[in-house]
Amino acid sequence: MKKKQIFLFIISFIFSLNSIFSQTENTESDSLIKKDKLLNINKLRFGIDLSNPILSSSNDDNLSYEIVGDLQITDDLYLAGEYGSIDRYIEDENINFNSVGNYLKIGFDYNMFNNWVGMDNSIYVGLRYASSSFSNKVDSYTVRSGDAYFSNLVDNGYENITHNNLNGNWIEIVTGVKVETFKNIYLGISLRLNKLLSDTKPSNFDNLFIPGFNKVTDDNTWGSGFNYTLTYSIPFKKRK
Amino acid sequence: MIKRYHNILFLLVIIILGCEKDDICIEGSENTSRITIGFIDFENKSSKGINLNTIRGIGIDSIIEDFNGDKLKLPLMVNSNKTKYVFEYNETLDTLILHHQTIHKYLNRSCGYISNFIVKSDTEISKNHGWIKEVSIENDSIFNEEKTNILIHY
Repeated sequence: MKKKQIFLFIISFIFSLNSIFSQTENTESDSLIKKDKLLNINKLRFGIDLSNPILSSSNDDNLSYEIVGDLQITDDLYLAGEYGSIDRYIEDENINFNSVGNYLKIGFDYNMFNNWVGMDNSIYVGLRYASSSFSNKVDSYTVRSGDAYFSNLVDNGYENITHNNLNGNWIEIVTGVKVETFKNIYLGISLRLNKLLSDTKPSNFDNLFIPGFNKVTDDNTWGSGFNYTLTYSIPFKKRK
Repeated sequence: MIKRYHNILFLLVIIILGCEKDDICIEGSENTSRITIGFIDFENKSSKGINLNTIRGIGIDSIIEDFNGDKLKLPLMVNSNKTKYVFEYNETLDTLILHHQTIHKYLNRSCGYISNFIVKSDTEISKNHGWIKEVSIENDSIFNEEKTNILIHY
């Protein structure tokens, strides 16, 4: 008796699935776009991040920038990547240092937003593998001391050195939106949760900041970031 | 609808950036140690308490007043290899010039660096009136404040 019910359930479930799939197929054929095509290389988007140059100019740093790009490979899936160059002066609790480096992030975005015909917006989640090579130059620091009779500030000699040839690797979980504000021009914002996989530690110092990864906290391999992008899309096919 | 998502995301950015974890240097973490100066009798080399009127670091305006005892702890300059102190005893001034190697050690983000020292043998006194007879080094490395590092014979 029970078995029969289970069978009934499975069969009805498969039928309902079938009807859902056929419905989605219908909507696709409504929009008159090719179907039964696995690859759908439709557009290439590239652009820049707007937050980095603004941050760097307001802090009197050298120019930092990030170039972003993505390539649509199926209806919802995009190959995506970012390349950035960072030069930032960081005033931390005890140590002021300058961080300079480049990074590359490669991965994919998956669009979860169902557009109406003619619209091309996206709400997406994605994943990146990222790698950064950088150097951190210690500019000045305050030595921890229980006594403040003499100044404990060190701004010359000792550990005021450049730690070169550092690198870090991490993965990023991305969520974001892209809105087509003008034809083929998109404004986007994304949030990133970063998980550090490995980094080369400098001697007698630590990686307190990794370009691309941002702030690294004590005893913690998680970080966060965001970008605010302006991108231009090169359509490969004429959109209806 | 998509505009609303935009706003929510923007809010999230602010929240994430605002809620960064603060690293706090735990009390009891390693710290920069002071030098420990012992005072001994020049004749019989036994520990002898002293009453100094003033102690002043050269280059510093503030004065440490009235020291009583036979063990004096003083900070060394973390951004120099030389620390000079003027001791006033019975209205006479003598200058102690401490030469030291200054080694900075990184702890973590919240505590930053601390400094360790190694006292060098060219530590000297420049006498004004000469109440200090001799200076000797007992333990040259200053990594904690447990041992007496130098002795002033008077």
